[in-house]
Amino acid sequence: MKGRKYPLYFAFPALAVFLLFFITPTVIGFYYSFTDWNINADTISFNGLDNYRALFQEPRLLTAFKNTLIFAAAVTVFQNVLGLGLALILNEALKAKNFLRMIFFMPYVISPIVIGYIFRAIYHPSNGIINHVLNSVGLGFMAQDWLNNPKFALFSIIMTDLWRVTGFSMVVYLAGLQFISKDLIESSSIDGAHYWQRFRFIVFPLLAASLTVNVLLAMINSMKIFEMVMVLTDGGPGYTTEVFFTYIRNMFSTGQFGYATAVNLMLFVLVTIIGVPVLMGLKKREMEY
Amino acid sequence: MKTVSMLLVVSLALLGLAGCGGNNNNSNAANGNTANTDATATNTKAKDPVTLSFVIPNTVDTAPFTQLFGEFEKQTGNKVELQALPGGEFDNMMKTRFSTGDFPDLFLMQPGTKQYVKLRADEMLREWSGDADVWARIIPSMKDAQTLDGKIYGVPYGATGMYGVFYNKDVFAKAGVEPPKNYADLIAIAKKIKATGVTPFYEGVKDGWPAQIFYLTGWVSNVDPAIGDEGVAKLQTNELKMNKIPALKDLFVKQKELIDLGLYQDNVLAGTFDEMQTMLGEGKAAMVFNLDGIIPQLEKKFGKEFVNDKLGFFPFPSDTDQGVALVTPPNQLMIPTQAKHADAAVELVKFMLTKEMTDMYYAAAPGIPIFEDAKVELVPVQQTVKDLIEAGKSKINIQNRLTPVFADFQKLLQIFFINGDVDKAYNDFAANYEKDGKSKLLEGFK
Repeated sequence: MKGRKYPLYFAFPALAVFLLFFITPTVIGFYYSFTDWNINADTISFNGLDNYRALFQEPRLLTAFKNTLIFAAAVTVFQNVLGLGLALILNEALKAKNFLRMIFFMPYVISPIVIGYIFRAIYHPSNGIINHVLNSVGLGFMAQDWLNNPKFALFSIIMTDLWRVTGFSMVVYLAGLQFISKDLIESSSIDGAHYWQRFRFIVFPLLAASLTVNVLLAMINSMKIFEMVMVLTDGGPGYTTEVFFTYIRNMFSTGQFGYATAVNLMLFVLVTIIGVPVLMGLKKREMEY
Repeated sequence: MKTVSMLLVVSLALLGLAGCGGNNNNSNAANGNTANTDATATNTKAKDPVTLSFVIPNTVDTAPFTQLFGEFEKQTGNKVELQALPGGEFDNMMKTRFSTGDFPDLFLMQPGTKQYVKLRADEMLREWSGDADVWARIIPSMKDAQTLDGKIYGVPYGATGMYGVFYNKDVFAKAGVEPPKNYADLIAIAKKIKATGVTPFYEGVKDGWPAQIFYLTGWVSNVDPAIGDEGVAKLQTNELKMNKIPALKDLFVKQKELIDLGLYQDNVLAGTFDEMQTMLGEGKAAMVFNLDGIIPQLEKKFGKEFVNDKLGFFPFPSDTDQGVALVTPPNQLMIPTQAKHADAAVELVKFMLTKEMTDMYYAAAPGIPIFEDAKVELVPVQQTVKDLIEAGKSKINIQNRLTPVFADFQKLLQIFFINGDVDKAYNDFAANYEKDGKSKLLEGFK
């Protein structure tokens, strides 16, 4: 069986679907980003770099750019730190470990829209559970208008998304941990390595593949954040939590399709610029044993 | 074997593609012979009933329409299927549907002739100007509001809308105050109310749209007298800039004053339309700047007696007098010329215009009627506005008179509530207005 080759044409149907529904729209989109496609215009004509020039002069997009990066960085880092922490704990011989794994993973299967609505209630300044708890334990001075105070709005969205996605990272790390040979851990214990040393020199390096997957997925997904922001703040108050996709949606809804496509393409470029070096860096440190 | 597996793979792929195919709900109805439906006869059952698609913004209460359509079905056998699209993006969604040839049989559109420009009415929409029977009972001013270059493409349907200040009469009585005689008086009243421990004004900044009403209703009392109809005409063509109107800037200054004096509720940024109703109904807030859509909501929450006995209304006062009431024409019914069942849709519109049906409509959704001899029971706040209209103290909403909209106004106001920067808000307002004109490729903005 080993080395047996399958005919190439087995891939054709899938390739055809992929070309038709993924590659073609992308190429068409690329073309439209150089046009003045507008719902109010009779014709669509090529307008060169006008859309790109316009988007670089748009202060709202700068805010969206900044917020998207802050969000992506915070979520990527903490999702991994927390996910790894949970995976390490729940990889131990705990009684309720399966139950706890399920609990932590559960938010990931709930729709972000639903989570958004739940957290809107949780964050409510006067009726929300967070401020109720803070008030009842004497920390009333910390109570905030979590979603409408521009200082906290983005932070609140980050916390909500972390709650949602951490379980996913945990599962990927748990899977990685299953592949690490127990013999290796045991022999290092016999050699006198304590927990931190075992983690630092054996477990963590062998988790490199899981780390690559987790970091990359977290980064790409968080740069594409949309539903959570839309439900929690809709980019507000004002534009303080505007991200790329809320801006793009807004431009689409006002019928500026050519311009919106250009912004979309900018996001694609941005994800690529950040994603590819990160992927290469992480790949380099992956190893097998 | 190879051939068999290849065939299998291909047929599976084709099956998958077929699954993505269009699922046209109306295709069954398309076989219906619309020629059988007589446009004037409303009480004969169609031989081959059709299902009409009626697209409506989801911000509109569908209950009265559903009732009417039930009657229509009873009499003609034709069904009407309601499709609600998001109100905020309704116009563009309709335009998109038009450009892809996905025409409903009829739809409800915002009032005003600017929609004609947007929808390319002369090519796309049925013209109603010649149907004398359609206009027989409609009040002439409503017909005029729909006429552009002598042509009419939409039939107004519903009630005259109103914007202004709604207040809780009990709270006013407790504070010993009456509706204001001018703007300074409004502030004095608010201070007195605050002294009794009640929040004078509630504002729905979180929801965004309610915060705009302060300006729209303030516009007719303060900006219109300052710039006149000529000024509005110049705004339409970008000859007058929004940030060259001191009376408009003054509205931002006035709202800043309300914020600075602490006359809004605590957590004003978290304010929602829902809580606005609750606070007003429970007497925890005295006044709200809002539109008549709040009346059925308040009725649902606090009952008919509350709306009849406790709810008051006055226009946004000007610096010198009581101000004028803001009114809006009702939405309009439109039929695409390429609608599948255009004839049956025309029949439906004419059916809806019969006295029996308009009476039924107003019984379900009482409001200031646009039909002569319409039977309607108005609640006192509507009567107040009807009296103002009859006394010549009303003006149509500025947003129904201009083609460009006050783009992103609600976001801008949220920022204004955060930083209180009058100049920035005023200038951004002007910039956004121009940007919208430009994105709509309007004359004078391009």
